[in-house]
Amino acid sequence: MNSTYQGRWLTVDLSSKTIDRKQIDPERIHTFLGGRGVGARELWDAVPHGADPLGEENVLIIAPGALTGTSVPCSGRTTLHAKSPATNHYLKTNVGGHLGIALKLSGTDGIVVTGCSSVPVYLLLSRGRVELHPAKSVWGLGVRDTTRALKAEHGPNVEVACIGPAGEKQVRYASVMTSVYSAAGRGGIGAVMGSKGLKAIVIDGSGGKLAPAHPDALTRLVKDARERAYCDSLALDLHRYGTASDIDSINAWKRLPWNNFQRSYMEGDISALSGRAWPELGYLKRIVGCGACIYSCHRFTQIDEGPYAGIFSGGPEYETVFAFGTGCGVTDPRLVFAANALCNDLGMDTISTGSVIQWAMECIQRGVLSAGDFDGLDIQFGNGAAVVELIRRIALREGFGTVLAEGVARASEQVGQGSQRWAMQVRGLEHSGIETRGAYAYALAFAVNPRGPDHLHTECLAEFGASPEGIALIERITGDAKYAVPDTEEKRPEIVRWHEDMYAISDALGICAFATTDAYGIDEFMAADLLWAATGIRKDANELMEDGRRIVTLERCFSIREGLCPTRDDRLPWRIMNETQPDLQPGNELSEDRLRRMLRGYYRLHGWDEQTGIPSHATLVNLGLAFARPEGGVTPD
Amino acid sequence: MKLVVKPERCTGCTGCALACSLAKIGMFSYDAARIRVERNEEHADFRPRVCIQCDEPSCIAACPSGALSKDLRLGIIVVEIESCTFCRKCEDACPYGGISFNDEDRGPLICDLCGGEPACVDACRFPQAISIVEGVQP
Repeated sequence: MNSTYQGRWLTVDLSSKTIDRKQIDPERIHTFLGGRGVGARELWDAVPHGADPLGEENVLIIAPGALTGTSVPCSGRTTLHAKSPATNHYLKTNVGGHLGIALKLSGTDGIVVTGCSSVPVYLLLSRGRVELHPAKSVWGLGVRDTTRALKAEHGPNVEVACIGPAGEKQVRYASVMTSVYSAAGRGGIGAVMGSKGLKAIVIDGSGGKLAPAHPDALTRLVKDARERAYCDSLALDLHRYGTASDIDSINAWKRLPWNNFQRSYMEGDISALSGRAWPELGYLKRIVGCGACIYSCHRFTQIDEGPYAGIFSGGPEYETVFAFGTGCGVTDPRLVFAANALCNDLGMDTISTGSVIQWAMECIQRGVLSAGDFDGLDIQFGNGAAVVELIRRIALREGFGTVLAEGVARASEQVGQGSQRWAMQVRGLEHSGIETRGAYAYALAFAVNPRGPDHLHTECLAEFGASPEGIALIERITGDAKYAVPDTEEKRPEIVRWHEDMYAISDALGICAFATTDAYGIDEFMAADLLWAATGIRKDANELMEDGRRIVTLERCFSIREGLCPTRDDRLPWRIMNETQPDLQPGNELSEDRLRRMLRGYYRLHGWDEQTGIPSHATLVNLGLAFARPEGGVTPD
Repeated sequence: MKLVVKPERCTGCTGCALACSLAKIGMFSYDAARIRVERNEEHADFRPRVCIQCDEPSCIAACPSGALSKDLRLGIIVVEIESCTFCRKCEDACPYGGISFNDEDRGPLICDLCGGEPACVDACRFPQAISIVEGVQP
C-alpha cells in the first residue's frame, strides 16, 4: 500500500565518511509515528548514556513528520534531535521552512548523523545521490551567504539547512537555519552540528513523489481541515500580523517580560513593537509561509530609512521582540529588526541570546559587572545599539562574548556575586518570553519540559481564554469554561497534559502547533483521520493521544537517564520562584507550594511517582517503554 | 472563468502545487503539478507560475502540430496528447511561465481549472495570491 512514509532512513557517519540506507522497524513507526516520536526513539538508542553533547558520541537526528510533504494544512514541519549542549538533557527542536518537504520528496523519512568530521563537510541529497562534500569554501560564512553559495552550486530548487559562525564556534545556543530565515533555535542544535564539522545539509526534492494511502479521502479531509483552520477566530490575525501581533495584548494582560523579568507590564505606547503596526510603518515587505502552511505567520521585514536602512530578514517573531525589545528595555523596533537579522545570519537562538544579554544588562544595573568588562560597551537596559554589537561578539566569541556564549547558567556561575538570581534559566536553558508567575499552565508546562523552561513542548494559550475556541477547549478538557483563566492552579495538570499530548502528536505528524494548540483547526480526531488517509495507519483519537504521552514520557526518561532529577529540576528560574512580580495582582503569586501541588497532580495524571516525578515501571510497561527505565539517572533527593 | 495571480501576495508556501499534484495524480510532486512557485527565499520573492487562461494564447500559436486548442466554454487550453511532438515550443512561448513539462507525462502540463473548482485556490484563501474570477469572456 502507498504511504506518506518513504520507508527509508539514512545514516551518515562523519568519522568514517560512510553513508548507509536503513529501514526502521514498521512496528516502531506505528508506535512513534514519525518526526519527534521516531526521532526520540532513535535518539534513545543512538546516544550512549553520559555522551558529551559536543563530542563524537552525540547524534544529530533530522526527522520530518509523518504528514510532511503533503498538502495537509501546516504540515511542513521537521524535528531535529540531539543531546543538548545547553542542558546535557534531551533536545528536540522543531522547524518549518521547506526542509522537511524536500527531504520527504527526496525519498527519505529521516537522517541520523553520527561521529565527527575532522574537516568541514556538507551533506548533499540530490536525485538519488547521497554524498559528503568538502565545505571549506563556506565555512566561516553567514547563513545567507552559505545558502546562496550552495544554491549557486546545486541549483535554485535545493533546500539548505546550515549553521552560521555561531554554530561553528559552538555557542551553546547556536541554531540550525533553513529556508534562510527559519530557525531550529533552542538548545544548541547548531553547536552540535558545528562540533561535528557539518556545515550544511543540501536537499533537492524537486523530482520526487510522495503517494498517500487514500488520496481521495485525503483530498476530502484536507479540505475539511482547511475549512476549520481558516475559520478559527485567531487565524486571520496570525496571517495578517504574525506572531508579534500579540505584544500589545500580552503587555495589557501584564504577562510581558520587561528588563529581564523585573516587570511584566510597561505603560505607554509600545505599538510599534507589535506586528500589527508593521504594515503601516512600512517594515513588512512580505507575509511568508512555511511549506504547506495556510496561515503564513512568518514575516519578511526590511528597514528602508535611517541608520539601519537596508537591514532585512525573516521575522522577527513574538519571542524575538521580547528577547531584544521588551526584555532589554528597547522600544525602537528598528533595533529589534537589526538584532534579529544579525542572529538569523550568525545562526543563534534569539530567545537565549536575548536572555544572556538581559542578564548582562542587569549585572551592569546591579554593579556586578561594569562597562570595562565589555571593552567600554554601554550595555544598559534600553541601549539597543549595544545589544546588536554584543550579539556579534557572542557569536564570534570575542571578549566577554565568550563567557556569554556558554549560556546564562554557566555565565552566571562564572560571574557569581548572586547573579544566578537573575539568570532566567533552569538546567541551562533560558526561559522564553512569558511571565509565568501569572500564567500557571505555562509555569507547570515550563517546569516539566524535558528540554528546559519554554513554551515549545506545550503551548497552553487556551488558559488565557483568548478565543472562543480556546475557551471551548478548556471546557472540553476540564468540564468547565471557568478554568480558562491563567492565575489559578486548579485543573492546570489536566490542561497541560492535553496540550502536551497534542503538541507531541503535532510534532510527530509534522503539523505546526499553531494549527493545533494556538489556533485550533486540527484536533486529535481530525489528526487521526489525516494519519489514516496519508499512511494507512488506523488509530482512534485516544490511541493517538496515548502516542503523544508515550513520546513525552520517553523524552523525560532520556533526560532523567542523562541526569535530570525531577525533585530538583522540575522548577522555574529563581526569580520566578522567589521574587514577587510588582505588576501582578498581589496575593496570587506562583509559589513553591503551588508549583509542587500542580506537579504532584501532573505526575499522578501521568502515572509517574507522585513524590519523585519518575515514571513508574508499570506506566512504562503500559506505554511499551519498558526498555526506558531511567536507571542511569540521578537518585532523587 | 480564469485564474488571477497576484505574485506580490504569494507567501511561498507551495501549498498550491501540493494540492494540484494531489488533484491530478493522487500524489504529492512538484514536478507533476501544473502550478509551480518560483521562490527566492533570501528576498522573500515568490512567484506562482500557472496558466491564466489568457485571451490570446501564444502557446497555441507556437504549437507546430496543432496539439493545443482553447475550450471556449471553460476557457482552458486543451492538449491533444496524440498530436504533441514534445517539442516544448509552447513552454517557451508562454509569457507567464504557465507551462511545464514532466518527462513521465510526456506532454505539456497546463492548468485545466480542475473542471471549475481549482484545488490550488482553496489552499490560498488567506493571501489570495491565486484566485478565480467568474464570467470572463472566452
